[in-house]
Amino acid sequence: MSASSDLRVERVARLPEDVALHARPAGALVRAASSFAADVFVSANGRRANAKSILDILSLGAEGGVELVIDASGDDAAAAAEQLALLVPSLD
Amino acid sequence: MRESDRPSVVIVSHSAEIAAGLAELVGQVAGPEVPVVTAGGAVDGSLGTDGGKVLALLRAAAADGGAVVLVDLGSSVLSVRAAVAELGEDELERISVADAPLVEGAVAAGVALSTGCSHVEAARAAEEARNVGKL
Repeated sequence: MSASSDLRVERVARLPEDVALHARPAGALVRAASSFAADVFVSANGRRANAKSILDILSLGAEGGVELVIDASGDDAAAAAEQLALLVPSLD
Repeated sequence: MRESDRPSVVIVSHSAEIAAGLAELVGQVAGPEVPVVTAGGAVDGSLGTDGGKVLALLRAAAADGGAVVLVDLGSSVLSVRAAVAELGEDELERISVADAPLVEGAVAAGVALSTGCSHVEAARAAEEARNVGKL
């Protein structure tokens, strides 16, 4: 285990006003998160969901305009958090 | 129906409408690359299951990219069991039947397949649906 695997990176991103984290956007988020080795979580509304689990993400019930906290840990955590933070505001 | 080598989601339901609506939902969440096929309702279109269609879908899926199979209730399960009993060993290796809730399981399996998971991993993702609370 390298020291970098303990890295935990947090980013904040806001959903577009008119895009809730429902079917298609949720799928896009999960696909993006799944492309990283890092453990990735998304928090909203006081809940924290595994970003690689579609059912977990859907259960957040995040509506449009909501701020999501993305936290990632593991080897490619920085890249994962960065990419998801870029993706979230562009979901449609 | 040789669209891709990606495994497909096979939905077996008593109702053609349930199957079609769920296929639409899975398509939207998982994206267009994941093939979704359905066996919904009896031969005459009433509520029930069409064992012949289930077998044909499983055969076709086994010959293509494989499949994860989601079922609703009772005789759907029996139809899938009967179809599986007809398949050869090499076909069975390409089919996973998920012991999972239908809607959540199909969505979870579809998204898993969209990320490149195997049909076995997708079935596991579907089965984990039982552990995810709704409220």
